[in-house]
Amino acid sequence: MGGKVTCTLGEVKQRADFIVYWGGNPAECHPRHFTKYTLMQKSKFLPRGRKDRTVVLVDIRETKSAKAADHFLQVRPGKDFELLTIMRAMIKGQDVPEAQVAETGISIEVLRDLIEKMKKAKYGVMFFGMGLSMTRGKHMNAAALLTFAAEMNAFTKFVAMPMRGHGNVTGADVIMRWQTGYPFGISLNRGYPRYNPGEFSTVDVLVRGDTDCAFIIGADPGATMPKPAIDHLAKVPTIVLDPHVTHTSRLSRVHITTAPAGIAAPGTGYRMDEVPMPLKPALNSPYPSDEEVVRRIKEVIATKPDWMTNQPQMIESQV
Amino acid sequence: MLRITGGTVYDPANGIDGEVKDLYIADGRFSSKFEAGRTIDATGMVIMPGGVDVHTHVAGGSINFARAMTPEDHRRTHAFIRSKTRRSGIGGMAPTTFATGYLYAGMGWTTVNEAAVPVLSARHTHEELRDIPIVDKSSLVLMANNEIILDLLEEGEDERAKHILAWHIWAAKSYGVKAVNPGGVASWKYGNDAKHLTSKIDGYDHVTPGTIITKFAKMIDELGIPHPLHLHCNNLGAPGNVETTLETMRHLEGSRAHFAHLQYHAYGGDDWGNMRSEAAQLAEYFNAHPNMTTDAGAVLFGDTVTITADGPWQHLLYKLTGRKWGNLDVENETGCGIVPYTYRPSNLVNAIQWAVGLELLLLINDPWRVFLSTDHPNGACFWRYPEIIQLLMCADYRNECMANLPPNIKNKISLPEINREYTLYEIATITSAGPSRALGLSHKGDLGIGKDADFVIYHRDHDIARMFGHPRYVFKGGEIVIEEGDIRETPDGREYLVQPSYDPEIDKFLRPLFEDRYCMSFENYPVEMERIERSQIQDCITPESEG
Ligand SMILES: [Zn+2]
Repeated sequence: MGGKVTCTLGEVKQRADFIVYWGGNPAECHPRHFTKYTLMQKSKFLPRGRKDRTVVLVDIRETKSAKAADHFLQVRPGKDFELLTIMRAMIKGQDVPEAQVAETGISIEVLRDLIEKMKKAKYGVMFFGMGLSMTRGKHMNAAALLTFAAEMNAFTKFVAMPMRGHGNVTGADVIMRWQTGYPFGISLNRGYPRYNPGEFSTVDVLVRGDTDCAFIIGADPGATMPKPAIDHLAKVPTIVLDPHVTHTSRLSRVHITTAPAGIAAPGTGYRMDEVPMPLKPALNSPYPSDEEVVRRIKEVIATKPDWMTNQPQMIESQV
Repeated sequence: MLRITGGTVYDPANGIDGEVKDLYIADGRFSSKFEAGRTIDATGMVIMPGGVDVHTHVAGGSINFARAMTPEDHRRTHAFIRSKTRRSGIGGMAPTTFATGYLYAGMGWTTVNEAAVPVLSARHTHEELRDIPIVDKSSLVLMANNEIILDLLEEGEDERAKHILAWHIWAAKSYGVKAVNPGGVASWKYGNDAKHLTSKIDGYDHVTPGTIITKFAKMIDELGIPHPLHLHCNNLGAPGNVETTLETMRHLEGSRAHFAHLQYHAYGGDDWGNMRSEAAQLAEYFNAHPNMTTDAGAVLFGDTVTITADGPWQHLLYKLTGRKWGNLDVENETGCGIVPYTYRPSNLVNAIQWAVGLELLLLINDPWRVFLSTDHPNGACFWRYPEIIQLLMCADYRNECMANLPPNIKNKISLPEINREYTLYEIATITSAGPSRALGLSHKGDLGIGKDADFVIYHRDHDIARMFGHPRYVFKGGEIVIEEGDIRETPDGREYLVQPSYDPEIDKFLRPLFEDRYCMSFENYPVEMERIERSQIQDCITPESEG
């Protein structure tokens, strides 16, 4: 069971007449989302634009986004999973004890009304944000929402999509997947990709002090990571590629200033729906692109002896 | 320069059926003379042109989505370890890009055609294709649910639709056009399907799947695209769908057409309980109509992950299996669905599917028109092709396998009555010479002078699956890439494109429609030539060149 049922943002713009934001604050975090894709757009299928769409916001606090929504559901902190599970049961007509519903902070009447509206929609979409995917039980929450969207397809068309953070996070995720099979949390230290988010994620490796060098491109972990991770970055040789001076570049041994991608360096950015966009530079930069710096470093490394020799070409099964 | 002596050569493009013959290679091509250089003694060995896969899914949003959904498979499968000159990778149901190149080349395949590229994410597909080493590549853009074109066909603006089709082929830097469940995917976006050629398509009054198919085939022929309309018929995977398939074939008389993964379109009965093979009926019609080619889309028992641009079919699978389901609707054109799946011999439906794939390969009598495929990864992973070759070449082995099928399969399949065994010459045809010709890649699948020196040398072996799974040497562009299972070189492959001509004024017409429908600006859409590594533009067929 489970899985992921999704679409591209153009489909949302064209067709979505029922939009749920779960644990996100698009009005402040993705300011162009409402106008470009969800609320304001008119289309062949939704000629009256905003009037043809129903918008629901589910969040633990009433953010600016709530004002833009038709319905706001204030879920108690940490109760997302319970609420999702209850709604999954309710769409199938299963009974849920009212006391359990009340614990989520939402009344059963509100849920009944919402579910009825969802089933009547022609094309529903659920966006889920950091609020859902970064809190306690984060993987469970996201999985429950994806399953909920998949199950809604027994009644009408429904899809789900994460609202991802800034920069080209999606692009990194997409490329790691085609090159290694995994999106993040990958170790290549045995010469082939291994995946274990709790063990190989950057923050875990740094906190444990398991790395003797750090190479950081276009990210500023020095601003966001826990103190032991930052202390370790300061201790080992850290190399930063960044157009700007950042928290991380200040504690690094080497900072190479690069041309900002999309402004002065070309490339591809992947949008949150994984649609690739060409980055066309508007300015020239005296600095090299990240790509050029990495390529030149790679060329130098290629002249050094290989530290990993006498390895078989392939192993039949991984341990 | 290189000389191969003493090998027994199977080269269907030149009518050579098991002759002992020397081959000379210079500058990556076969040559008529040899002056100096290395000689490889292939005495007692078998030589064939390198495999060409006419229909596979190895790069782009959907296979990458499948990779994301199957981390547990990556962990249990084999892993390629990096070396100083070679990248690491993971095999399995949805192999990573580098591993895809190693695995194809490892069994002697040297050209692959990625059969489903959504217009909007063509850039992504090309970025992945770049990361597939060794093999040459081409790709087909998904078009038959493109709403801009469907709207024009609805209004009878066929000529303009043709220019827009050509614009998209070039903008996506593709090699041809794939039509998936024409009209059905457009309807699916509202949870409906179009199961018959006369079915109404949501949002349209005039165009039906039937008109879309015939008009697309005609437009592609008129544009002179080397590979004909590549068609994934409506009503995939459903009992009784043979009627839809035959109706589709009748619509296409007089046009060229390639029918993808015919196995999934050859069922009788009207529900899962009384489903039966109609491969014989389909093969009979097919044999009498030389305008068509097909690939088998054969099924092998075991685990795989199914991905297709056919959203309705995937939702059905999800309901049948209750397994994970991934679905991705792409604006204004297509969608795709992903479900991990296990084909079991004890499951009657799966057993019938397994038989149907083999029956089609055995009952279609012209090996130049039916090609080996599993619709990777849908029917089975591509690296299992040697097992299918064994099933085709050994009737005894087939009978052994049939003993494991449920007893109530009797009278539902015709495989037990078929005694045909493929010859090596026929295997070389369905794996290489035939698909090369269907793709219009005249320099592939051919060991003649001047053709690309992509070929394989096999040890003779009574164990056919072992023979084809472990070539002695694989050559790509005259270079040894595989030797006794070792990856020797990982050259970058070429990518084939076509550039059909269209009225440049079409930009003005398309721009406002585009900006309304897509959430990407018009200028950002076309994939730049410099994005394609080692691109090679193939000529379109002009009336003169047809001669
Ligand atoms: Zn396919």
